[in-house]
Amino acid sequence: MNAMPPLKQRKLSLKERYSHLTRGLGWETTYQPMDKVFPYVSYEGIKIHDWEAWEDPFRLTMDAYWKYQAEKERKLYAVIESFAQNNGHLNITDARYVNALKLFLTGVSPLEYSAHRGYAHVGRHFVGAGPRIACQMQAIDELRHAQTQMHTMSHYNKFFDGLHDARHMHDRVWYLSVPKSFFEDACSAGPFEFLTSISFSFEYVLTNLLFVPFMSGAAYNGDMATVTFGFSAQSDEARHMTLGLEIIKFMLEQDEGNVPIVQRWIDKWFWRGYRLLGLVSMMMDYMLPKRIMSWAEAWEMYFEQAGDALFEDLSRYGIRKPKYHEVASKEKHRLSHEVWSIFYNYTHAAAFHTWLPTEDEMKWLSAKYPDTFDKYYRPRFKCWSEMAAEGKRFYNPTLPQLCTTCQIPMGFTEPDDPTTICFRSAEYKGERYHFCSDGCKDIFCYEPEKYVQSWLPVHQIYMGNCGGAEVKDVLDWYHLNFGVDNFDYEGSPDQKLWDEWQAQKAANPV
Amino acid sequence: MSDETFSVLVEPLGQTVKVAAGQTILDACLRSGIYLPYQCNHGLCSTCKITVLEGEVDLGEASPFALMDFERDEGRALACCARPMSDVTIEADIDVDPDAMNYPVLDVEAEVVDIRTLARDIKGIWLDMGGVEFPFQAGQYVQLQVPGVQGERAFSLANPPGSRLLELHIRLVPGGQATTYLHQSLKAGDKLRVSGPYGRFYVRESSSLPMIFIAGGSGLSSPKSMIEDLLAKGVTQQITLFHGVRQRQDLYYDDLFRMLAEKHGNFTYVPVLSDPQPEDGWTGETGFVHEAVVRHFDGVFRGHKAYLCGPPPMIDAGIRALMKGRLFDRDIHTESFLTKADDKAPQRSPLSQRM
Repeated sequence: MNAMPPLKQRKLSLKERYSHLTRGLGWETTYQPMDKVFPYVSYEGIKIHDWEAWEDPFRLTMDAYWKYQAEKERKLYAVIESFAQNNGHLNITDARYVNALKLFLTGVSPLEYSAHRGYAHVGRHFVGAGPRIACQMQAIDELRHAQTQMHTMSHYNKFFDGLHDARHMHDRVWYLSVPKSFFEDACSAGPFEFLTSISFSFEYVLTNLLFVPFMSGAAYNGDMATVTFGFSAQSDEARHMTLGLEIIKFMLEQDEGNVPIVQRWIDKWFWRGYRLLGLVSMMMDYMLPKRIMSWAEAWEMYFEQAGDALFEDLSRYGIRKPKYHEVASKEKHRLSHEVWSIFYNYTHAAAFHTWLPTEDEMKWLSAKYPDTFDKYYRPRFKCWSEMAAEGKRFYNPTLPQLCTTCQIPMGFTEPDDPTTICFRSAEYKGERYHFCSDGCKDIFCYEPEKYVQSWLPVHQIYMGNCGGAEVKDVLDWYHLNFGVDNFDYEGSPDQKLWDEWQAQKAANPV
Repeated sequence: MSDETFSVLVEPLGQTVKVAAGQTILDACLRSGIYLPYQCNHGLCSTCKITVLEGEVDLGEASPFALMDFERDEGRALACCARPMSDVTIEADIDVDPDAMNYPVLDVEAEVVDIRTLARDIKGIWLDMGGVEFPFQAGQYVQLQVPGVQGERAFSLANPPGSRLLELHIRLVPGGQATTYLHQSLKAGDKLRVSGPYGRFYVRESSSLPMIFIAGGSGLSSPKSMIEDLLAKGVTQQITLFHGVRQRQDLYYDDLFRMLAEKHGNFTYVPVLSDPQPEDGWTGETGFVHEAVVRHFDGVFRGHKAYLCGPPPMIDAGIRALMKGRLFDRDIHTESFLTKADDKAPQRSPLSQRM
């Protein structure tokens, strides 16, 4: 009896087909020595013995790539079109929601463009064909994300203030130097550190804390156009996240000596990314009229739980959890309140409106932050609201001291004491530099030559480099319309327009 | 949604899995030990994209951005939301293992011909397959239906392929229904329903690297089959077997492996006791088995193939030690002996899902 059927010719796997298609792309150069053609690939200290060991997670050819992205575009633009035709902006929960979009458009969309430039740059500088192709495709993805986000939100620009010049504002507005300097730090690092910072730490470890809150926030608040670009971008994320995991695994497996270098980058970029996400925390807890979950809950779900599994696996490679992760967990019950308070202080110089939470919203905050909100922050908001009622709305009249590393005003508190502002400083070549945390100080102290070059908006204003000495001059230089784009939501042109629409709606029920 | 069970033939592996009513193709594959790449598991990210070559599937909740219209027309589907509506053939993005023989799964009623105590809490059971040819790869396992016990239980085959009887090593799990029955009630002449072979734990014979086998307790079964098979085939690369148990009375097949080590210059046998008793008079290796492995190789494992078989904590400690010594997942093959009680496996990230 013959139990085995004859073996048929088996099909090539996708991986094999792809390697046939791309073979020979990583050739050895002959006109010029390899180290001249790829000048950035060794100075970071990362040793690669075999570029062929890179497992290309993409396995996508260019013609297939165009076909996919073209259809995604067609679908997205159809939704944007119908959103515009149906006056979709009238169906959002409340006009305060649009301020989350202002933050996104000025703070995040330009980062997509920076990512495009960063991936295009490092894609040129890797020796192996695998990472080069991966970076090339991601560079095009990021350009697409930047464009589609701007196109989606341009609809809101027809009606609401503060959305008219995001690219210009990103380069100048004081708090936007936080995301801008974050990305410039990554783009000016070597190619391996760039992928560790953006592909791994940002896209893989922290992305759910950026994208999920904004996209679920959009869905909860009736902004279907933004939800759609979220879906369209998320369909690229699988490739981006896989690249993040692959680069880490590749470096760790190629040489033992890479382990401490990678660990230091993970420590650094965890803390840099976490500080940047402070903006998301206030968006989640304060800016969404209809909330999804609290920042603390999001941190627990997306970092503490998912991160535990990831770092358990990485521990096999000799990698431990990022330094100061426990500080981030201690701060989760106060981060959003501290950040929102900073913006309330300086709303006269911001490109979006602020407000004090309503009584119902404070009830929600008390429930989500039982140990901190009523004790530390409710009394503060009560005081500010009483001052406003007396016509003495509190504005902070002096400019804040900024952290030299993250560039956020020094408003964060000591890890173990939420009532004391955390100050750290270090001296370098006779100058003293200030930091918001041990995390930011450590980053500076490892590469002081890099961070002494920081373009700190407050210093620049005082040096007279930002349009003038008055708030109004600086705002002109930012391309912000004084009295329109800034100040409280209460009394803003946005509010006036929204209230008119609501009144019309009430007068003409469908 | 259909309430029927369908077969899904997975190319390029050539393996067939059963998909129950309402089950997704991804879920069925993962549960049958076929790793398909996936990430979000709810139709958004498109990592698990497959091609349906034959048959019909319900595409489920696949997002229009993750599965394009033109792809739907070309027969693509997302495995995480696709449910078969007939028997289907799919093609997935899987690395083909050149060493997988993909022997068909057979269901056989086997007769128990012998039961012997091998160690303190381990019995050997020998099964006659009644003349049915039962091809398998050394290292694979079978599923047993134990009378009076719900569901099936997996046991690795300890005999090399080609022997007349199947040999299983059964450790008595305290309070375990199935193993208690097999230890206390089973007798020669009884019949047992056996299905198999299953599993992807077998020697990668396409590799010529020296091999390290690490076995814990009754996890000696697969390595015994694999090593007997390799030595009989006359392979020449170095083979080192570590067998970790607690005390001398837990060690079994010690004589067999000592004899094989004497006979074959390329085979080394290292038994390791973690809790030797004074009366054991033990002079060999002590401590946890992975510690003995590290000592033996001076902590450097680069350029080897490793095969680990035993309880999950031993596997985890073994993987950590091997990775520390620069051996990584593509060269580490494991078979975890889970008991019914450890159904809840620890949460893993996509970093190690292939292992």
